[in-house]
Amino acid sequence: MRVVLKTRPREKPRIPIEAEEIIPQNFLRKDDITVYYGNKERSLEDLFFVTIEGPAVSPDQVEVVLTGETGMIKRVGEYMNAGRIIIEGDIGMHCGNFMSAGEIVIRGNADAWLGREMRGGRILCEGNAGHYCAAGYRGEKRGMRGGTVEVKGNAGDFTAEYLSGGEVIIHGNCGDLPGVEMRGGTLVVGGDCARPCGNMTGGTCMVFGKARQFLPTFRSNGSQEVEYAGKRYRMNTFRGDVANRGKGTLMVRA
Amino acid sequence: MKVEDVVCPFCGCLCDDLVVEVEGTRVVNVENGCTLANEKFMGDHRLKAPIRRAGNAWEEISYDEAIEETAAILLDADRPLLYGWSGTFGEAQSVGVHLAELLGAVIDNTSTVCHGPSIMAIQEVGHPGCTLGQVKNRADVVVYWAANPIEAHPRHMSRYTTFCDGFFVKSAFRERKVIVVDVRETESSQVADEFVKVNPGGDYAVLSALRAIVRGKRDLIPATVEGVSREQLFRVADLCMSAKFGAIFFGVGLTMAQGKYKNIRNAIELTEELNRHTKFTISPMRGHWNVYGSNEVFTWITGYPYAVDFARGIAFYNPGETTSVDILRRGECDACLVVASDPGAHFPRACAEHLARIPTVQIDPHVNATTHLSRIQIPVAVTGIDAEGTAYRMDGVPIRTRRLFYGNYPDDLDVLEKLYRIIREARG
Repeated sequence: MRVVLKTRPREKPRIPIEAEEIIPQNFLRKDDITVYYGNKERSLEDLFFVTIEGPAVSPDQVEVVLTGETGMIKRVGEYMNAGRIIIEGDIGMHCGNFMSAGEIVIRGNADAWLGREMRGGRILCEGNAGHYCAAGYRGEKRGMRGGTVEVKGNAGDFTAEYLSGGEVIIHGNCGDLPGVEMRGGTLVVGGDCARPCGNMTGGTCMVFGKARQFLPTFRSNGSQEVEYAGKRYRMNTFRGDVANRGKGTLMVRA
Repeated sequence: MKVEDVVCPFCGCLCDDLVVEVEGTRVVNVENGCTLANEKFMGDHRLKAPIRRAGNAWEEISYDEAIEETAAILLDADRPLLYGWSGTFGEAQSVGVHLAELLGAVIDNTSTVCHGPSIMAIQEVGHPGCTLGQVKNRADVVVYWAANPIEAHPRHMSRYTTFCDGFFVKSAFRERKVIVVDVRETESSQVADEFVKVNPGGDYAVLSALRAIVRGKRDLIPATVEGVSREQLFRVADLCMSAKFGAIFFGVGLTMAQGKYKNIRNAIELTEELNRHTKFTISPMRGHWNVYGSNEVFTWITGYPYAVDFARGIAFYNPGETTSVDILRRGECDACLVVASDPGAHFPRACAEHLARIPTVQIDPHVNATTHLSRIQIPVAVTGIDAEGTAYRMDGVPIRTRRLFYGNYPDDLDVLEKLYRIIREARG
């Protein structure tokens, strides 16, 4: 089954739409999907032109395509557990919250909290991601726990905050404090970043560009070769964050 | 008439020992107040009556007309924002939260531009704090980190720290050590025993280094950390560890610098580390008068201290998403009610521009920068001068403010209750 959702023109296009019901399994068994537009609950058809093609007997046979002005749509793919979502443009905050399986492909940019507390599955963002990519909610002690988030462009501040499992790959630059409070999993930063892995207690972070404002509380632990994007690089290896009795591994290109 | 033990309605210190002289409906003299308090009590720039924008001019309207029009604006909105609240009293703040729930609005207070990050850090790792009375009577080491109390909280040092003798600190000026950490020299750094000058944005690294030193990892520390020498870091750590009772006060220089709440978290974790050696506490230097009260009131009712979004009928909180600056910068909200604050003066330009684009209503005694962005302004009594109510000091102690005289203005509570009644009737 292929579901195409094209946004209708909206009188107030900057008002966010909260659409956690846009997940493949809902199109298999529900026909009363609702979304929130500001403080009003609306039917899916009020805000989208909906086209459904072909049959499906299980959620993994459902592909949802979002097109139009999608940059203010939040929470698409929340708790998704099968199937595929393709977003032709930008997407709003919290895309792929808590998803456990399936795939989300974003052709444009993703706003903050992409893949928040994700458990499994795969997210590919072909543009840039906002702050808190693959991080946790406020006060939450564990961020992303499984699956893969790959961002072809840059990511904002606090990327992979509280990362506890899974793999986060940012091919471009990251902002401030990527991998802060990290406790497990793997974070790969292809470009530059600032103050990586403050307060980390576990996991592995690799920075293939420059690590600016490198924190003084990481202990040097030799060097090793690592492969990234088909090439091998010599990486200086550190253990820390000592300020937090951390036992994480931070590697920075030599 | 002289009124004694008056509570100052300006900053988070809520000094409660002022003597104010009143003639009719005017304050003519203030004793014991700082410059800021004197200006607050003696200032005379009140708006006389509700005003509404009429083309390029303003027209005076009645209170009933202003409140009814405000209700219509808020009822018509799909994503209203109710912002401010820190300059008014708890009873009015409470009605504001109920109004937000009724409207499905976002309600936020001035923490969003001051100590919101402090609260986020406290939500992560807790708060080893204490009252200002404890500091006054016990602290022999006081650290002001990215705060300049002499200019921002002028009586803080004389009432609670450097210049104030306490029960266990008989000669404060000699017995208390004061450490000031800042990116530049200030009036406060000039009275410090130790001034630590940090590179801008370098607080996080310095705090991490101090944590490592207190943990006994001195060998790890490089010759300088963000402009601070290793020797000075060792000296500061030793001073703190040898204290009988230490107190850290931090300002918005830490909360609003690069790293934001992670700076505060690091400072709290340093405090926790110091508590393995001695007694140490940490407290924010809250600026806006009753901002602590707005956090308390919001939390009682919603579970969250600021940036509460009721769009879906239940409270949702996510600073960065539901905070006023972010909502305004993204152009999300389509109406705004400002109560007891001045975002026009404090918010980034893009936010002020959006406030000017949408129908903005301000409830405030004075003409200020937000007036120029508003469609309607409703003047009210000033809490602590001609209105009374409960406010919270920066250390979380509630204090009842007094009404010095009966003026001609309704207070915030009167206006908000009337607004609430109209909206409730309209909503059925």
